[in-house]
Amino acid sequence: MILEPAKKRRPAEDDSFLGIRVGVLMLIALMLFGVLGFRLWFLQILSGDQYVVEAKNNRVREVVVEAPRGVIYDRNGRVLVENRAGLSVGLLPMDMIDPEEDPQGFDAELSKLSVLLGMPKADLLSAYDKAKKDPYVTYTVRDDVPENPVVTYLKEHSQEFPGIEVDTSFLRRYPFKSLATHLLGYVGEVRPEDLDRPEFSSLEGGAHIGLEGVERQYDSLLRGTDGKKTVEVDAAGRPKRFLENKAPKPGNNLRLSIDADLQRAAEDAIVDGIRRAHEAGKTKAAGGAVVALDPNNGQVLALASYPEYDPSLWVGGMSVDKYAELTNPAAHQPLFDRAVNGLYPAGSTFKPFVAAAALNAGIVTKDTLFNCNGKFTVKGQTWKDWNPNPLGDVNMLQALEQSVDVYFYNLGNLFYEQPSPVLQNGVKLFGFGKPTGIDLPGETTGSRVPDKTWKAEYYQNASAEDRAWKPGDDINLAIGQGDLLVTPLQMAVGLSAIANGGTLYVPKAALSITDASGNVVHPFDPEVAGTLGMASDVLKTVRKGMRLVTEDPTGTAYKAFEGFPISVAGKTGTAQKKPDDDYALFMGYAPADGNTNPQIVVVAVIEQGGHGSSVAAPVVRQVMAAFFHTGAGTINAPQTE
Amino acid sequence: MNQQLKVLTTAKERRQPLGFSLGTYLRSMDWILAGATLALVAYGLLMLYSATHADTNISTPFYYVRQQAVGLVIGIVVAVVLSVANYRWLARRQVYIYAVTLLLLLLTLVIGHGSETVGANRWIQLPYFRLQTSELAKLLLIVSLGAVLAEGVELRHRFRFVILCVLYLLIPSALVFLQPDLGTMLVFFAILVVMLVVWGIRMTHLGILAGAAALVSVVVLRLVPAVFGVHLLKEYQLQRLTLFLNPEKDPTRWGYQLSQSKIAIGSGMFTGKGYLNGTQTQLNFLPAHHTDFIFAVIGEELGFMGAVLLLGLFAVIIWRAFRIVRMSDDMYGSLIAAGIAGVLVFQVFVNVGMTIGIMPVTGIPLPFVSFGSSSLVVFLMAIGLLESVHVHSVAGRPKGP
Repeated sequence: MILEPAKKRRPAEDDSFLGIRVGVLMLIALMLFGVLGFRLWFLQILSGDQYVVEAKNNRVREVVVEAPRGVIYDRNGRVLVENRAGLSVGLLPMDMIDPEEDPQGFDAELSKLSVLLGMPKADLLSAYDKAKKDPYVTYTVRDDVPENPVVTYLKEHSQEFPGIEVDTSFLRRYPFKSLATHLLGYVGEVRPEDLDRPEFSSLEGGAHIGLEGVERQYDSLLRGTDGKKTVEVDAAGRPKRFLENKAPKPGNNLRLSIDADLQRAAEDAIVDGIRRAHEAGKTKAAGGAVVALDPNNGQVLALASYPEYDPSLWVGGMSVDKYAELTNPAAHQPLFDRAVNGLYPAGSTFKPFVAAAALNAGIVTKDTLFNCNGKFTVKGQTWKDWNPNPLGDVNMLQALEQSVDVYFYNLGNLFYEQPSPVLQNGVKLFGFGKPTGIDLPGETTGSRVPDKTWKAEYYQNASAEDRAWKPGDDINLAIGQGDLLVTPLQMAVGLSAIANGGTLYVPKAALSITDASGNVVHPFDPEVAGTLGMASDVLKTVRKGMRLVTEDPTGTAYKAFEGFPISVAGKTGTAQKKPDDDYALFMGYAPADGNTNPQIVVVAVIEQGGHGSSVAAPVVRQVMAAFFHTGAGTINAPQTE
Repeated sequence: MNQQLKVLTTAKERRQPLGFSLGTYLRSMDWILAGATLALVAYGLLMLYSATHADTNISTPFYYVRQQAVGLVIGIVVAVVLSVANYRWLARRQVYIYAVTLLLLLLTLVIGHGSETVGANRWIQLPYFRLQTSELAKLLLIVSLGAVLAEGVELRHRFRFVILCVLYLLIPSALVFLQPDLGTMLVFFAILVVMLVVWGIRMTHLGILAGAAALVSVVVLRLVPAVFGVHLLKEYQLQRLTLFLNPEKDPTRWGYQLSQSKIAIGSGMFTGKGYLNGTQTQLNFLPAHHTDFIFAVIGEELGFMGAVLLLGLFAVIIWRAFRIVRMSDDMYGSLIAAGIAGVLVFQVFVNVGMTIGIMPVTGIPLPFVSFGSSSLVVFLMAIGLLESVHVHSVAGRPKGP
C-alpha cells in the first residue's frame, strides 16, 4: 500500500516531528521574505533619492540649441561677418556599431566615413573615444560639410552609417572675404585652456567661441546664450516628448569703427607699396601694416596687416595642411597682426616725438641751431647723416622737414648730458613702451623705450662696460634707432596726440553693441589714456615741421604728396634693422592746415621696403585719398629718405 | 444492519461520487488561499497591462493581457477540477506521471524551440499553445516524487532509499540542464530539499547531500574547466550567475538589466511613481519588464507599498500551503503541499532577489505575475492541488465543535 487508509488520521509516529520540520521551513521562508523586505526598504526608502536621479539621467536628454552669433558691421552698417546655415556631421555612439561586438563592422564604418569626410581615421577614432563618454549626445566631428556629394551620400546610404548624424549649425560667413581679417579674428572650437577661464566657464568642450580679434574680445557679447531642449527619450534614445524648451538668445551685434572702403584702400595700398618697393629693387619686401585712427577720439578707421589670411579657413575646423601652409616661413606670417603687434625701430618717424620731448624739457628752443655737415662726432665716435651734403646751421623745423640726422644726434647728445632721462620720459608720454590698450586680445607688451635701467638689466650677463648707458644710446634713440621698438598702432596713437593738441586716446575698434532689433545696448565712448601736458607751442612747432615735410619742396615727402588737395602733415622714416633691408615708414595726419581739426591719422610700414619717402608715404597718400574721396592722383616719389 | 449500511453508503456514493456534497466542498475549501491567489493574479494582470500597453510592436494595448487572461481562465478551470478530484488518485499513477515528465523534457530537447540568442530549447509548439515544458515538469515532479516518498515513508532511515530519490530527481534535472535551463534545475533541487525535509529525512543524510552538492558545484564550476577545459556551464550562464555582485562592471548587457531594474525599483521610493507612470518601464529602460523583471515594474510604479503588498499576498499563499502540509490527512498530501510551498518560496525569493540585485540572473519567473501562460496555468494547478489536499482532509473529518 502506498497510502495509509483514507479518512484516517495519520499515525502520530509517522509525523516524525513534522510540526518542527514545517516550523523550521516556515521560519526559513520568513527569513527569506525578511531579506527581500529589508533590501527593498534599503533601495526604495534609504537610497531612493539617488535612484530617482539615475532614472532621470536615464530618460532626460538635454539638446543644446545653438544661439546664432552676433553680426559684425562696419561703421556704416555694412556686414563684415554674418552667419549662414551649415551642415555638420557627428557621431552618436549609442547608435553606432559597437566596436566590442563587431570590430570589423565598426572599422569599416569609420573607414568609409574617413574617406567621405576626407578626415584621417585616427581623428575619427579619437573623436569616438570622446563621444563615447556621453553616448546619447551627438559629437560633431566636422562642420560645414558640403551638401553634395557628402551629405547626400550619407543620407542615401544611411544603413551603412548607423549613428552618423547630420545637423545644421551656424557658421561664420565673410562677405568681404579676407578684409580686416586680423581685426575681426575668427571663431573656432574652444581651447582646453580657455575652459578654465571664468568668462568661458559656462561652456562645454566643443563649443564655438571667438579665438582672435574682436570675435575674441567681444565674445561674451557676440556669443549669445544657447537654448536648451529638454527631451524625454526612451531606451533607444528616441525622443518621446518635450519637457522644456528654452529658446536660444541670439548674440548681440557689434558695430565697428572701421570703414570697409577705407580698410579696403589700406589693404590695397600696402600691396601697392610692396610692389613699389619691388620695383625699386627691394625684393625682400613682403609684409606691411597700415593703421588709420580718428585723432579726435581714438576710433580705429582702418587696421590692415599684410599678408592676410582667409578667415573662412577656420569655418568647419582648420585643416592641418592649411595651417602648416599659413605657418610656413615662406608665407611671411599671415596670421601675425603687424599693425597691432609688429615691433619695429621707428627710425626717423620718431623724430617728431623726440623734438617734442626736447622742447618740452627745455633743452632747446625751436630756433636753436646746430651745424649739420653730414656727420656728428662725440668722444671719438662718429655718426653719419643719411644725407652726406653739408646743410650748415639747421633749426628744428628744417630738421624735421628734411629729417636731418645730425640735428637729432646733437639733441641725443644733449639728452645724454641731462641729469634725468628726459628723452625717455618725453617720448613715453606719447604712449611708447607700453600697450595702447586697444580692444583686441593679446596686444604685444614688447614695445620698449630703452633707458639706463633697461640696458643694465637686459645685458646683465655682459661686462660692466657693455651694460653702461652711453651717449650713443641716446644719440641712436634720438633718430628712432638703437634698441627702440614701437608698433604702428602706438605711432598712430602718439601722432594723434600731436594732431589733436595733446590728448592720448585708447584706440577702439568697437563703436557700439546693438541687440537683435538694432537698439544700441552699449555705446563705446572715447577713452582718454592721458594727456601730454606739453605747452601748445611745443606741439605747434612739431606740427609745423611735419607739415613742411609734405609741403616744402625740400621736404622728404614733398614728392609723395605733390598735387594732393588736402594739407597733410607727416614724417618719413627709413628704419634700419640689420640684417634686414631698411623698413619703410610714414606717418601723417590730415587736414593739417591748422584751420580744420585733423580727421585722420595714418601710419604705414612696409617691411624691408626701403625708403619711407618713396614706398611708405604713397601708401599713406592712397589711404588719405580714399578717406577724403579725392582720388589718389599721380604718385611720383623719388628715392630720398 | 450491515446490509442496510452498505445500501446507504452506495446510495450516498451514487449521490456524492466524490465523497462529499457541493456544500461540504465549498465549506472545506481554503478560501483564504483562493482569495489571495485571485488577488495576486488580478494584481499581476494589472501590472502586466502597465508593463506592456505602450509596447510598439503589438497591435493592441491588451495583447499580452489577453493572452495571459486566456491562461488564467484555463488555469482556473483546471484548478477547480483538480481541487474537486482526489489527489490520492495521482499517487497510483506515479510511474506514468514520471514517464510523461521525462518524455516532455526529452521532446523539448529534440523538437523544442527557444530564443535564438541564447540557443536554448524551452518550449514545445502545440496548436494554439506554446508549452513551456519545464514549468509543467515542476508540478509533475512534485506529484510523482511525492508518491515515491510517501510510499517509502518507512524507509526514510535508509540512506540508499534517499539516494534513489535523489537520482529520481536528478534525471529530469539533467534534462533541463541540457536545454539549458539552469533556473528550473535549481527549482527542482529546491523542491527535493523541501519535500525531503517534510518527509522526515535524517539530518545526517541531509548533511551528506548538502556536502555532496557543494562538492559537485566546486567541481563543475572550477575543477572541470580548469583541468579538462570543458565548460559545463555556458559563458553567459556563468556571467549571469556572478554579475549581480557587480553589475556596473558591464553596464551594457546583463549588468544593464540589473542596473536598470535597481534604478526602477529604487526610484519608486515609498509610494511609487503611479500606475502607468513608471519612466523606467514605460520608456523601455527596463528590459524583460513583462516577464522576469515584472517585479521592478511594481516597485517602480507602486513603490515600497506595492512591493510589500505583493510579497504579502505571496506570504499568505505560502503560509496556507505550509498550513496544508500540517493539516493533510496523509503524507502524500503533506509532500505535495510542501513541494508547492518550496517552489513558491524559492521562485519568489530568486526572482525578486534578482530584480533588487541580491540574486543572480537565472531566468526564473515570478509565479502568477510574470507573463507566460504555461507558468500561470501550472501555478493555478498547484493551487488546485493544495485545495484538493485541503478539501479532502477537511471534508473527511467529523464535524464538531
